[in-house]
Amino acid sequence: MSKTIKRLIFCLAVMFAAPALAQDAEAPIQKLLQEHGDVIAKSSRKTIGPAIDALAASGLPAAQRVLERWQAKEMWRDEESGLFVFAEEIDRDTIRVFDPADGAQIGAVPDKGFKQLKPNSGIRGMIGAALVQFQLGDPDPVTRATALDAIERDPEASHLAALRKVVDSEGDPKLKARKARLERLLTIRFDEDDAARIEAIEGFAGDPAVDVRATLNPLVATRVEFAETAPQGDDIARILKPGDAALPRTEAYALLVKDGIAPPILTRSDKRTALIDNIRDGAVGGYRVAQLDTEANRDAAYAGLVEAGIASAAASEAEIDATLAGYVFFERFTGARPTVARSALAALKDIETKVGLNRAADLVLDALSLASIYFLAAIGLAITFGVMGVINMAHGEFIMMGAYTGYVVQQIIPDYTISILIAIPLAFAVTFGAGVAMERLVIRWLRHRPLETLLATFGISVALQQIAKNIFGTQARPLTSPAWLDGSLVLNDIVSISYIRIAIFVLALLFLGLFLFVMNRTRIGLEVRSVTQNPRMAGSMGINPDRINMLTFGLGSGIAGIAGVAIGLYAKVTSEMGQDYIVQSFMTVVVGGVGNIWGTLVGATLVGTMQKGIEWFNPSNTLAAQTYMILFIILFIQVRPRGIIALKGRAAEA
Amino acid sequence: MSDLTLSPPARRALVLRHPSVLVFLAILALFTLGVTLLSEGMGAGVISTSFIKTLGKTLCFCLVALAMDLVWGYCGILSLGHMAFFGLGGYAIGMWLMYERTRQIVADSLAAAELPPTAQEISDGIASQIFGVVGASEFPPIWSLAHSLPLQLAAVVVVPGLLALVFGWLAFRSRVTGVYLSILTQAMTLALSLYLFQNDSGLRGNNGLSGLQNLPGLDHVPQAWVSLWFFWASALALGAGYLFCAWLVSGKFSSVVRAIRDDEARVRFLGYPVEAFKLVVFTLTAILAGIAGALYYPQAGIINPAEVAPIASIYLAVWVAIGGRGRLYGAVIGAAFVSLLSTWFTGGQAPDLVLGPLRIQWVDWWTVLLGLSFVAVTLFAPKGIGGLVDLIGRIKNPDRHGADLGPDAGALREREADQ
Amino acid sequence: MTTLLEVSGVSVSFDGFRAINNLSFQIAEGELRAVIGPNGAGKTTFMDIVTGKTRPDEGRVTFGEKSVSLLSLSESRIAQLGVGRKFQRPTVFEDQSVADNLMMALKKDRNPFAVLLFRPRSADLDRVAELAGEIGLSGALYRKAGELSHGQKQWLEIGMLLAQEPRLLLVDEPAAGMTLAEREHTTDLLKEAARTRAVVVVEHDMEFVRRLDCKVTVLHEGSVLAEGSLDHVTGNEDVIEVYLGR
Repeated sequence: MSKTIKRLIFCLAVMFAAPALAQDAEAPIQKLLQEHGDVIAKSSRKTIGPAIDALAASGLPAAQRVLERWQAKEMWRDEESGLFVFAEEIDRDTIRVFDPADGAQIGAVPDKGFKQLKPNSGIRGMIGAALVQFQLGDPDPVTRATALDAIERDPEASHLAALRKVVDSEGDPKLKARKARLERLLTIRFDEDDAARIEAIEGFAGDPAVDVRATLNPLVATRVEFAETAPQGDDIARILKPGDAALPRTEAYALLVKDGIAPPILTRSDKRTALIDNIRDGAVGGYRVAQLDTEANRDAAYAGLVEAGIASAAASEAEIDATLAGYVFFERFTGARPTVARSALAALKDIETKVGLNRAADLVLDALSLASIYFLAAIGLAITFGVMGVINMAHGEFIMMGAYTGYVVQQIIPDYTISILIAIPLAFAVTFGAGVAMERLVIRWLRHRPLETLLATFGISVALQQIAKNIFGTQARPLTSPAWLDGSLVLNDIVSISYIRIAIFVLALLFLGLFLFVMNRTRIGLEVRSVTQNPRMAGSMGINPDRINMLTFGLGSGIAGIAGVAIGLYAKVTSEMGQDYIVQSFMTVVVGGVGNIWGTLVGATLVGTMQKGIEWFNPSNTLAAQTYMILFIILFIQVRPRGIIALKGRAAEA
Repeated sequence: MSDLTLSPPARRALVLRHPSVLVFLAILALFTLGVTLLSEGMGAGVISTSFIKTLGKTLCFCLVALAMDLVWGYCGILSLGHMAFFGLGGYAIGMWLMYERTRQIVADSLAAAELPPTAQEISDGIASQIFGVVGASEFPPIWSLAHSLPLQLAAVVVVPGLLALVFGWLAFRSRVTGVYLSILTQAMTLALSLYLFQNDSGLRGNNGLSGLQNLPGLDHVPQAWVSLWFFWASALALGAGYLFCAWLVSGKFSSVVRAIRDDEARVRFLGYPVEAFKLVVFTLTAILAGIAGALYYPQAGIINPAEVAPIASIYLAVWVAIGGRGRLYGAVIGAAFVSLLSTWFTGGQAPDLVLGPLRIQWVDWWTVLLGLSFVAVTLFAPKGIGGLVDLIGRIKNPDRHGADLGPDAGALREREADQ
Repeated sequence: MTTLLEVSGVSVSFDGFRAINNLSFQIAEGELRAVIGPNGAGKTTFMDIVTGKTRPDEGRVTFGEKSVSLLSLSESRIAQLGVGRKFQRPTVFEDQSVADNLMMALKKDRNPFAVLLFRPRSADLDRVAELAGEIGLSGALYRKAGELSHGQKQWLEIGMLLAQEPRLLLVDEPAAGMTLAEREHTTDLLKEAARTRAVVVVEHDMEFVRRLDCKVTVLHEGSVLAEGSLDHVTGNEDVIEVYLGR
């Protein structure tokens, strides 16, 4: 039966059924729906596509509403007439129906004879995609932004035309920029015109964003093929040589094997299986089983099997080489037409450079933030080591004490901002007190015995660590940062830095400034410097070296406490956290040179940069990075035994 | 030492010049004999096999403490790396033990296969057995000697010795001394342990080497006997090590080494190549530590990178300090006393201490006690337990006119004292 | 007499401060020489350069008839060549006996393995006893050096230097903090030593220098101001200016 007759009969049927409902069966939208009526009613994802496209492309004002209602499962079909209506369920048996053409209410009817259309989620997604073009032009900017999000998530060819239509009319400059960018991305992906695609591709040169790379990458896809002679044609990406990194020899040969051109390579286990299968009376291939304990004998036995026609011949190495030599292997562009692919390749290369630069910038930021952490951790150590010549092995435990102080404060004061503001001075006070006590009780009595001091402070370190473990347990405790420190400062898809790290960096700068001020501009700084240079002379000038030493040690310990709070904010608080930083802190002091704050700064920068730099070369392995860094430092000491910024001459002899 | 300095040195046998050596060897022999007679292996069963192992391990600690005393108490280098050499010795012997035992297991299992195994199949089998835990199935190059007991035994000596030689040469030639040097040795130890912690270090990452208590080919010998053998070997090594150290510190070499400890620059102006002397002491003691480790780990059964971590080396210094440095028996006493006490406390055998409502469990608080008592020893009894011997023998140190030098004052050079 | 030590055109500076400025100095075999100069004249730095403790920025230092350059040698090599040095403060090894101190200084192979295998022969013991006699410490041979008095320590150190059998002896303020009787003994010891080797004595004390009765070199601001007999230099206008003027 021809289509026309079918439609005629259908129309007749509709006309007879019409009196039941006052509905405009002749409305263009209804006609369009009827055109695809069976497909729509069938609701199969495979066949529904043309129906949705037709609706979306119809340009009818009602199309958007129909698609929306359909997606919301509010479209029903009159089973008798085949007409579509919108409907709401009033109760179990009654529905209120509306005319799709203008949305006018028709009336409440029993739902008998009506069938609800229940598009599955796949179809709803397709409808959603089709709806996007309507939403793009929606008066509400939020809806337009949502539509753009939807396209970015799941772009389709149809979106391109829709986008192009609305780009120019967009009033919001931000949305307009987004639309324009998205339009270019879609052009690259879906446009049929190569020139337009290439133009769009070139427009993205040097843009390191992830979505650009995601769009370009499929275009440059290639497939490895082979031929007996060198291929012609501009869709050949490059000629490959078997055995190169891009095409290992075995893979090249496997291609030939797959096409049945060459016999397969037999692995050892294949041969072994074949031999085992053919053992007869304790012998195989002319060899006794007991003899088959070398590969040479097994090969010989297998050759025997081949000769006897029991097993198939395996390609020898020489044969493989000969076979491979007979073919040319090459990569063919499969993602796009060659001109487009080449253009994309060039753009990707450009982007690669840009990405590299951005990565380097990101690395520098990372290194800076690590350096500021090491600086914070080491500055206290540098003070005590520089001024008093004391190596404080318990320094790491002071960091730990500071962090636990922060944790305890957070247990009492739930507001994170206030608790941090309280925790910082409190941590300073606690560790300052601990440092002063340690100086008075232990270190003072071991004056001029640096090695003994080192060991005694180690004893304290062990005791403190275990006490913390006994009190707080072995599991890590959280030190939560206030909400305004959450998240990170994102510069682009590659370069970003978390606010906590920025805060730590600022804190480190603050301490540097504070330290310089105290040492160079205050009375106490003057006294500290004089005690450092010549304690006896300072003592005879009325400065009490004991008091200065005590204060210095307290200060160094107090700064460790604050560093502990800062470190606790981005790492976990455990009783062993001090150990993670102590060696790096020592290294910082040693590399930088003793007795100079700038030395510590340079040392921290060097150690931080080194560690990040090595991690960059071998990103999966931080352990290796630390190992190599320590080795580097041991070698560094060879060149500059007194550190980067070293005192020279008589001052160094003291 | 006093016998040497108060009367003219005569050419007599070493043990006669140093009666303490004879006393020590006698005590060691009696102790070994007593433990053997009371052991499970001999049937008496008063001392359990696991305790024999503990005692054997303690003897190894005593040996490495001797090495530490030599390098620190006599030469003034507070090395925080000797437990790393100890660990390296353990790894060297552990590689052979693990390889050989796995080889036998693999060979046994492959013997049942349809075809007799090739050498490559056996090697692959061993490799996948040993390195399966770190996701590898091939032998790293450092295992290429693992099949040979003599070569691995040589490695016990050569590897720590070579590392000490290279590191010492680098450190000493740049004239790094005092606390700087200590920090640097600690860095070396940390670097080594971090390296071993990696899975691709070729030594099974943090899994370490295990099953070392089973001697290949001696599965039928009960552990009671194996533990006794190792106990005897440890006692023998300690005795020999003690004799060797006593010989080392008996003559002019000891004079020079102690002089280096007290005033390195002055020794240089006497014409002695100070760096070479330090290097000899550092390397020899590293080798001694390696041997001690090679005896220790088969008794412990397992070695992993945590054993090499810097903290272990610091504990070694603690033992020597508590025992009394600058005298050989001090180091032995310290290592034995502290490590046995530590075993007792952390093993949960010590009764809890009840202080009113507080109940102190030693498993948790022993480390605190150790740390604090260590501080107390440094402050109040710098001579350590060995100082008691001086007290009994009424040996008084000379009045130094305020100059605070010598082993009891932390091996400090005058330049440091001037600061 | 042949030149034993020749220092020519040596300069060294610390952080911009020129401690030694184009210094030239010669001493012949078997000569006794006193070096005087005000504080900061560079006397100690001069000794540091000769013994290898400090490397000069420029200049040459040669030693012996073969004119070996000392600049590239380590302290211990220079000492082995025959340059002995006595520091301002007595530095002996206080934890060890006088005999041990002297035995260590005896001229023997300094290689660690040779030292390890070294056992004293009776000739060595006799030499130690003889040296102890010379420095007046025969009775204290087996006492710890730390128990000695300040003067005795100075002598022990001189004894150790003699045991080293150096060809050139550099002595820094040997008489500081000594009693009059001890000074005389010290002078005798140095004069005795100068019979068989070259000796350079750095000293402040003019009386002591006069008693040494030898050629005098005056250092000032890192270079030689005057040289000659004590009477000659004390008559020199520049020297008077430096010591008394300003």
